[in-house]
Amino acid sequence: MNIATNLSTTQSISAPQTQTGAQVNLAVPKAQVTALPAKMELQALSVFYNTFQAIAEITLTIPANQITAIIGPSGCGKSTLLRALNRMTDLTPNAHVEGAVTLDRENIYAPGVDVVDIRRRIGMVFQRPNPFPMSIYENVAYGPRLYGIRQRKVLDEIVESSLQRVVLWDEVKDKLGQSGMALSGGQQQRLCIARALAVEPDVILMDEPASALDPIATLKIEELMQILKNTYTIVIVTHNMQQAARVSAYTAFMMINQNRAGTLVEFGQTSQIFTNPRNKQTEAYVTGRFG
Amino acid sequence: MQKFTNHPPRKKSWLARLSQKLQHGDRLWQTLIISMSLLVVGVILAIGGLLWRESAGSRLQFGWGFLSPLGESSWNPVSNSFKAWSFIYGTLITSWVAIAIAVPLSLGIAIFLAELCPAWLRTPLGLMVELLAAIPSVVYGLWGIFVFLPAVVVPTGTLLEETLGAIPGLQVLLAGPVSLNGSSRLAAGMILAIMILPTIAAVSRDVLLAIPPSQREASLALGATRWETIWRVLLPYGFSGILGAVILGLGRALGETMAVTMVIGNSIEGSYSLLRPGYTLSSVIANEFAEAVSPLHTQALVEIALILFVMTLVLNGVARALVWNVSRRNPQEVRA
Amino acid sequence: MEITVDTPAILPARPHYITTHKGYGRRKTTNGVMLSLTGLATLLALAPLFWIIGYVLYKGGQSINLALFTQLPRPVGMAGGGVLHAIEGTLLLTLLSGLIALPPGLLAAFYAAYHPNTPLGVALRFGTDVLAGVPSIVIGIFGYALLVKPAGHYSALAGAVALAILMMPTIIRTTEEMIRLVPGNLREGSLALGAPEWKTALRVTLPAALNGIVTGFLLGMARAAGETAPLLFTALGNDRFEIGRMLRSGQSLPVALWKLIEQPVDSLPLTLYKYTQQPSAERINQSWAVAFVLLAIVLLANIAARLWVQARSAKLRG
Repeated sequence: MNIATNLSTTQSISAPQTQTGAQVNLAVPKAQVTALPAKMELQALSVFYNTFQAIAEITLTIPANQITAIIGPSGCGKSTLLRALNRMTDLTPNAHVEGAVTLDRENIYAPGVDVVDIRRRIGMVFQRPNPFPMSIYENVAYGPRLYGIRQRKVLDEIVESSLQRVVLWDEVKDKLGQSGMALSGGQQQRLCIARALAVEPDVILMDEPASALDPIATLKIEELMQILKNTYTIVIVTHNMQQAARVSAYTAFMMINQNRAGTLVEFGQTSQIFTNPRNKQTEAYVTGRFG
Repeated sequence: MQKFTNHPPRKKSWLARLSQKLQHGDRLWQTLIISMSLLVVGVILAIGGLLWRESAGSRLQFGWGFLSPLGESSWNPVSNSFKAWSFIYGTLITSWVAIAIAVPLSLGIAIFLAELCPAWLRTPLGLMVELLAAIPSVVYGLWGIFVFLPAVVVPTGTLLEETLGAIPGLQVLLAGPVSLNGSSRLAAGMILAIMILPTIAAVSRDVLLAIPPSQREASLALGATRWETIWRVLLPYGFSGILGAVILGLGRALGETMAVTMVIGNSIEGSYSLLRPGYTLSSVIANEFAEAVSPLHTQALVEIALILFVMTLVLNGVARALVWNVSRRNPQEVRA
Repeated sequence: MEITVDTPAILPARPHYITTHKGYGRRKTTNGVMLSLTGLATLLALAPLFWIIGYVLYKGGQSINLALFTQLPRPVGMAGGGVLHAIEGTLLLTLLSGLIALPPGLLAAFYAAYHPNTPLGVALRFGTDVLAGVPSIVIGIFGYALLVKPAGHYSALAGAVALAILMMPTIIRTTEEMIRLVPGNLREGSLALGAPEWKTALRVTLPAALNGIVTGFLLGMARAAGETAPLLFTALGNDRFEIGRMLRSGQSLPVALWKLIEQPVDSLPLTLYKYTQQPSAERINQSWAVAFVLLAIVLLANIAARLWVQARSAKLRG
């Protein structure tokens, strides 16, 4: 299912209103018809905390093997949206979700779906690196062990390949037994990515992965993302517009509407969003007039 | 323009002079708080010192043999020969039983309160667990004698004797008929377990609550279940703190007197069995001190108090070191 | 400076191991079972609480009567009588030990809060923890060696001192914590106005921390009221203790008071213990009644302390 087909079904859903009352255009330009396959789709996704609506009916497509960035001013619900994609919102009491999120065309919120499997297939990297207080080896091996893999040889292979994928192997191969917390911030974050890769996900969600890191570490992470996207689909939330412009192919711009719910203002190719945004608010945000 | 003249200082009354001195009475204040602190520290030294002094005769006479399990003699006030081994054994075995029962239960409670229980239920349940600690020891003893022993200890003891007692290795521990009314080391161990539960559970719960949520999120985002997160990440993370809690509980179990002395049977019977009556360090003091038959008897009992004092001192030191270790080597430090 | 990052153009090949759904069912089951077990553990742990309280209320309630509170005990075997001596003894001991423990405890806590890293401060905090862990019977022996043996007789004073030592760590810890919680700028504001340290402590810091200090003190006293072991060799017990009678004996107040505390004295827990050792049905019934009273005091004190804290903090939050 490609993006163009997807959008034709979404136009029947009422598009969010901007403050001036104008209709928001959700369409991707027609040049996109030779479309990329969609890995995940959000269909009128809403997130509620008790009766308060935090996310208002967002419809979006995440193309496979691309980096999709979600940008917007603080508090607009980007992180909430990201967490809804791997059902981490289930962990917040009083949170409930309406609408659908599909992964490979199967709704992950359908009743009877195995949440544990969803979370394996959709991995997450957090803003602050959070390695476990175990050795580097054990951090990466944590996931595979959960899935019953016990043989030393197999685990060694998985750990090595995961660490190589995040370009950390050479730096740590002699000190795999050292605590994961003894690494620098940038290394810890790459360790966390390696940990997520070890369970063979299809999608990687990243919540401001470099915001706690220095510029050089940030650069390394961004380079890493470019390589990873060939194998995985990546969705990144960032408050740093320049970062979104640097790394992503597609960008979604979110804002809070009158009811304090996060809504999608515009979605499209990154180059288009940043150089020729269709929506006035998008233009105001990317040119830095507010944020 | 007003003219200022220098008036000579007026003579002040004694009251005015006194209050002026007291107003800058910081020196007095400092003296007070320092001396009171010295007093408190002094009390501990005094306890150790006094116990040492009052047991001198017994220590000289019996030396290290007082503690040893070997040798012929046992505790015999009549012949003025004293050995503490059976009491040391009693204290250790009852505390061990108490820990074996209390630790899994306390961990369960701590996990439930910290991870699973809805927020509104947490405080009332926590309060109820703490109330268990507030019940006086004698009340535990009274309930123990007339309710717990017949209802729980006797059946449990009989069951243990019939099932596990058949296993060859365990026969030493589970030999002999359960005493008629149930007073036994097992009874003491079980009641001690109830008494130390609140300590271990409350501290462990606090340890778990202090673990940053990011650890849980990291684990769950990898596809782990809640239990796997608790077992593989949280418990190892909080291990030193929980160990400290267990040691604190152990310390309490070692020193507990009244409830133990009321249900343990207070007998210097030779067996090592859990099902038979026994004696502990604290209960022998409680039972015999007021009617000690000779000065040596008294001194031996004071020496037992000294043993208890040293045991709890060491345990407390270890627990303290563990807690300090946890707070100093804070794993959340991220070197950027 | 050009920053180059050495990254491979293609990812190294990697084996696939985790693509099946094998084992999810078992993991889910384990999860459910273990989590339920923790709930079960909580219920199991709370069961004795309700069992004890319920049974004591039931059995004790049966033997409660007015005589219990107003009469001295009758000889063993005779019906009737009460535990007035124990009630008065408990009151005397608790009050006296509170009086003895409070001033040093408060002052030492101030030192611990203000100078935590001096050698004395470290020794004090370590020592408080040590003292908290010393078994109560050892403290009783200490009290005996300190006050009973030299004096030649048992006394309420010795018992009160032993109880005070027991209470001390709780008072110091709670007070120190509460003082720490008082915002630093409160103290600094007072000092900046020229008030001396002691005035600041007593007029500013202490009232601000009073809430918690009072709670800690009350809980400490409640614990002391329930202790038996330290009294076994200090206060010993006294069947004939009756404050009213002693005060009316015609001596001047200070002398009478001194005589009062120089007597051996009973307490509720001590009486309870002694009665359980006597094979008389009457005594056993009275034990239950005493347990009822003791439990009521201790539980009410604990609950009241929590409610007080909640009420005060609610009032502060306005």
